[in-house]
Amino acid sequence: MNTSDPQPTMDRRSFLRTSAVLTTGLAALAASLKPLLEIKDLPTMEQFLQKYYKELTPAEMAKVLNRIADEVEKEYGLRPHVRDLKPMDGVEYVYCLNLTRCIGCRKCVHACVAENNQSRNPEIQYIRVLRLPHGSLDIEKAEHNYHPESVPEKGFFYMPVQCQQCKNPPCVKVCPVHATWQEKDGITVIDYDWCIGCRYCEAACPYWARRFNFTKPGIPKERLNPEMSYLGNRPRRQGVMEKCHFCIQRTRAGRYPACLEVCPAGARKFGNILDPNSEVSYILKNKRVFIQLKEEMGTSPRFFYYFDV
Amino acid sequence: MNSPTRTPQTLVVLGVVFAGLALNFLLGSPNPSAPPRIPLVDTNFLDTSTVRRSYADLARAKEDLSDFDCYVCHEKGKAPTLRFDTNQNLIIPKEHADVVMGHGSHGRNNNCFNCHNETNLEFLQSRDGRQLKFSDSPQLCGSCHGPTYRDWEAGVHGRITGYWKRDLGEFQRKQCVNCHNPHSPRFPGRPPAPGPHPLHWNGTEAGESPAHPHS
Repeated sequence: MNTSDPQPTMDRRSFLRTSAVLTTGLAALAASLKPLLEIKDLPTMEQFLQKYYKELTPAEMAKVLNRIADEVEKEYGLRPHVRDLKPMDGVEYVYCLNLTRCIGCRKCVHACVAENNQSRNPEIQYIRVLRLPHGSLDIEKAEHNYHPESVPEKGFFYMPVQCQQCKNPPCVKVCPVHATWQEKDGITVIDYDWCIGCRYCEAACPYWARRFNFTKPGIPKERLNPEMSYLGNRPRRQGVMEKCHFCIQRTRAGRYPACLEVCPAGARKFGNILDPNSEVSYILKNKRVFIQLKEEMGTSPRFFYYFDV
Repeated sequence: MNSPTRTPQTLVVLGVVFAGLALNFLLGSPNPSAPPRIPLVDTNFLDTSTVRRSYADLARAKEDLSDFDCYVCHEKGKAPTLRFDTNQNLIIPKEHADVVMGHGSHGRNNNCFNCHNETNLEFLQSRDGRQLKFSDSPQLCGSCHGPTYRDWEAGVHGRITGYWKRDLGEFQRKQCVNCHNPHSPRFPGRPPAPGPHPLHWNGTEAGESPAHPHS
């Protein structure tokens, strides 16, 4: 021992012991943080720095669409056709549903899932088919878990509920980041790259129409619909909201929505309310259109339920 | 960390905690509470075709129309005789066993020649006396079901597929017989597609989803 240094701060033995403990401890700390490695689906820098939808120039939008196509191709092994379709002039969409005709077969629910690349596992569906007893329109008496051998069942009628595309949408008012807004053709859209997943809109919607991606959506590769649009059915990330957008990738290209095309009973009608010769104009003029769901909420839905005379 | 003897003790305790966590993450199952797989829906439920196929569909697809060759069996120019039982119900010959007479209530509409032309079986006969081809059957239906025919013409009764914006693409108005069997027109029941599965798995059987959080 060197007496000129009476109190060494650390001798050799304690240094070795301390560093052994420290190394083991740090290794254990690193290993215990392993769950962080399971976080996938982090946005790329390009996506992170992307501008707000309404501020994107056409050139920037083309870049964004290309990035989305690349991401989908990497993930699903299939090059999609991604577009950003704009609203048409002189068009305002309205949906009419004939409660006399609906048989409650739920084909619309599954056609919607297939068209709009919704998660199959966990399950996300935009349309909820309610079964109601005859003689009542009390939603409290509605049931969506019905499993008979055959529909329609005696004594019941069916009421599919989806996003009502309100003229006065409560979901848009509560969004803190303007990630959801109403377009001029009446469709309320969501920018999935702008949504922060706070779910305020889900709480604000009186129709239970908004869905949240709790996990990364599980879409089987063979069921992916490659005809996509930015505000429509492109695959979503974990932690963002989604909902019915009247099949924006179809309707803005002039086609009918998927739920209408598949309805075996012809209960669903869709069209431009500003065109006096459209089916929906005829229905609103001539049919017993008796209900906008939860009319008293003042949301003014663009989704009308009617009966045949 | 006031006392120098406390520091190594704290580090050891922390080390043990981290080592325990690490062991748990490395050895434990990756996601023990993963919900069971939801089976993919049968693609039959995604089929957009109509319940039935009309004469016009078959003719367009150039398919077998031999069912409509009446004079392979019947004699030309001679009206077939109809036979009725004691309750005035039509006795259906075995050659037409696929026909179920169920048009109109109380069996009142029990005469083939209310709709078929008696002298030329390959034509239909409307109530106002027009002879119609099988492919023009909606006009026959419309001769009795006026308001429904008016709705159908406006695209409001029945099915339309294709383009709502007519200048961007074709649309097709399905005929009455695409959904209704003319001999028994009530729309048939069908098995429903699978119902919703609960979003938050809580151990109940599929189909018994817990109450909706909003309700």
